[in-house]
Amino acid sequence: MKLRMRLALTTVAVAIPVALCMGWIHLVIETRAVETALSEYALAYMTTEARKQCETAPETWSPEGSRARRPPRGPPPPERFDRPNGPPSGDGRGPPPRPREPRGNTRLFAYGPDLVARHPQAPPLEPSLASAMRQGLDVAGRALGWGGPNDARDVLVRMPWNSGPCAFVLVRMSGRPGPGPSWYSPIPPEFWLLPTVMSLVGVLFALGPVVRRLRQLTGEVKVFVRSTYQGPITVHGDDEISELALAFDEAGRAIHAQIDLKEKREQTLRSFLQNTTHDVMIPLTVLQGHLAEMQRRAAQGEPVEGEVIAAASQEAHYMAALLHNLGAAARLEAGEPGMQRARVDLNALVGRCIGRHRPIARQQGVQLEHAVPEPPVFVLGDDTLIEQAVSNVIYNAVRYNARGGHVAVVLEHEPGSTFRLRVLDDGPGIPEHELPHILERHVRGDAARTRGPGGHGLGLAIASRVTVLHGWSLKLGRSEYGGLQVDFVGEESAPGQKDA
Amino acid sequence: MGERLLLIEDDPQLGAQISGCLERAGFEPTWWTVGRPLPPSEASTYRLVILDLMLPGTYGLDILRELREGSSDVPVLVLSARNDTADKVRALKLGADDYMTKPFWPEELVERVRARLRRPMLQRQSLVEAGSLQVDLDSREVRVLGKPVELTRVEFDLLAALARRRGASVTRQWLAEHVLDPEREGTERTLDVHVSRLRRKLGPGKHIETVWGIGYRLGEGEDP
Repeated sequence: MKLRMRLALTTVAVAIPVALCMGWIHLVIETRAVETALSEYALAYMTTEARKQCETAPETWSPEGSRARRPPRGPPPPERFDRPNGPPSGDGRGPPPRPREPRGNTRLFAYGPDLVARHPQAPPLEPSLASAMRQGLDVAGRALGWGGPNDARDVLVRMPWNSGPCAFVLVRMSGRPGPGPSWYSPIPPEFWLLPTVMSLVGVLFALGPVVRRLRQLTGEVKVFVRSTYQGPITVHGDDEISELALAFDEAGRAIHAQIDLKEKREQTLRSFLQNTTHDVMIPLTVLQGHLAEMQRRAAQGEPVEGEVIAAASQEAHYMAALLHNLGAAARLEAGEPGMQRARVDLNALVGRCIGRHRPIARQQGVQLEHAVPEPPVFVLGDDTLIEQAVSNVIYNAVRYNARGGHVAVVLEHEPGSTFRLRVLDDGPGIPEHELPHILERHVRGDAARTRGPGGHGLGLAIASRVTVLHGWSLKLGRSEYGGLQVDFVGEESAPGQKDA
Repeated sequence: MGERLLLIEDDPQLGAQISGCLERAGFEPTWWTVGRPLPPSEASTYRLVILDLMLPGTYGLDILRELREGSSDVPVLVLSARNDTADKVRALKLGADDYMTKPFWPEELVERVRARLRRPMLQRQSLVEAGSLQVDLDSREVRVLGKPVELTRVEFDLLAALARRRGASVTRQWLAEHVLDPEREGTERTLDVHVSRLRRKLGPGKHIETVWGIGYRLGEGEDP
């Protein structure tokens, strides 16, 4: 339902009962006025003469008043009663003037003190009227029809003498003859129709600009949505509609910011995926090259050199490490929620890392040694991430070392229930000036993914992120043997500490 | 006659590779290509089970759970292609003894299997043997090729510290702190001096190995 229609219906629904209520009050006042007028009429009529007539022949006394018998005084002004100013003479001048037009005829009946009429045509008294008189009231009225002021009604009036066969007089007004249409309402239309129509017109008139502004706002919001929440909403003013426009504007900006963020993330993800594919494709291509070379030599009956096989193995190993790192990077991007916290045996973890890289170290002619303490070191953290971090550092040390080089991994208890895990090598190391910056690289940074010598990138960046996530510290420096030394230092988990 | 191992791996190539590699390493592997429940009576005929987690039809962890519910304590080494901590933690909680993430080198797998089989025998012994060297930790007697060797207190403590963790590297720092008298010259340089004296006394067997970047280790030694 449109706003206009809704408001119009609401107005009507509210205006009509209010108007009817006011009309009803008007009706009650009118009715009371009519009853007063009729009783005054009866009192005025019952002058000494009329009383005498009544008391002498109560069986036949029943005078009628009608328009025809009205005194020729000109029509009374409408909406007002013509009240008699004094007792009418009752002699041929007719009964006193009756209330306003249109007005039905009146007829009087007399009743004795016992409220019984002698006149055979006199109607029996309504019990309500009779009881009112017995209670001592002077006047009681009762409507015979709808109850409107113009309707037929009985008014019973106590006469001042209070005795004889005419102690009470009943004025019966026969009401309007009913020339009006069938929808005749006791409440005049000016009491309900006019206010209703006026308020309806007023509402519709006042609603015009509101509806126009709302339509304008709707149009702008539609354009706004089509343009993916760009551009302003221009509905101004200082009412609720402009507040709504402002709210739309704010919501739009928020959505726009979200979309921007999402697009940026998607862009990053896309480039990450492309870079990753690129990263994996290179070692895969190198591996294929090595395999092809081996096949060629085997076909020609030449001996396959150990170096070619070692190189191929290294590529395969590199790919495995890369894929593990990409998995770790994805989990690190997710942040804390992606992290498990459980008790991790670092001794066993170091053992696994050594086991993973020893075959490749052996092929490369690098001696890989390790030492772990007794009792073992336990920490609280994510097993996979820690293993990947430690593994990366060990692998870098092995990979960038020369044939005949050494790598040592040493896990120790330190005072204050902390541990220290050192990975030291006698390889080329990292230039002093690069050391402070090497950990600042972002996991997804291009520099982090550099593959050549010195490109300690992705692996080291992951190690750095993992240590930060665990609240540990990662320190890079020169080893006493000239190569790189990487120190993980962190808190040990207390023996009673369970998985978190 | 090697130790009997059970391998549950659905991939034919990988299964054949692992199986062949275990055979060459002197084990006697049985290879199942499909996962099915392993009753404890049957499990007890194997020294170790290598279980792949991603099996068609069955989830490897279910086999493990049923096995442990049947109160079998055969060691289980879990293989997984997924490097997922939650999986590992679950496997370990269900009673797996170790896990390996694919890809791995055959050599690495054999090492892990050996380490797992060796573990129950790593009990504290008072007599440690390394090649031709015998160290009695209780009576503080040292013999090389059966002949007693006289050692000073520090020298014996040094050898005993290495002998207690035979095969494992021990850092010089730890040795210096735990073996040398802290009130006297407790430096790592002093330690090196003691080691070279000890080596001379033990003869040319090269039992005490120098480990680069770490310290020393008691190895099998070489026949003189």
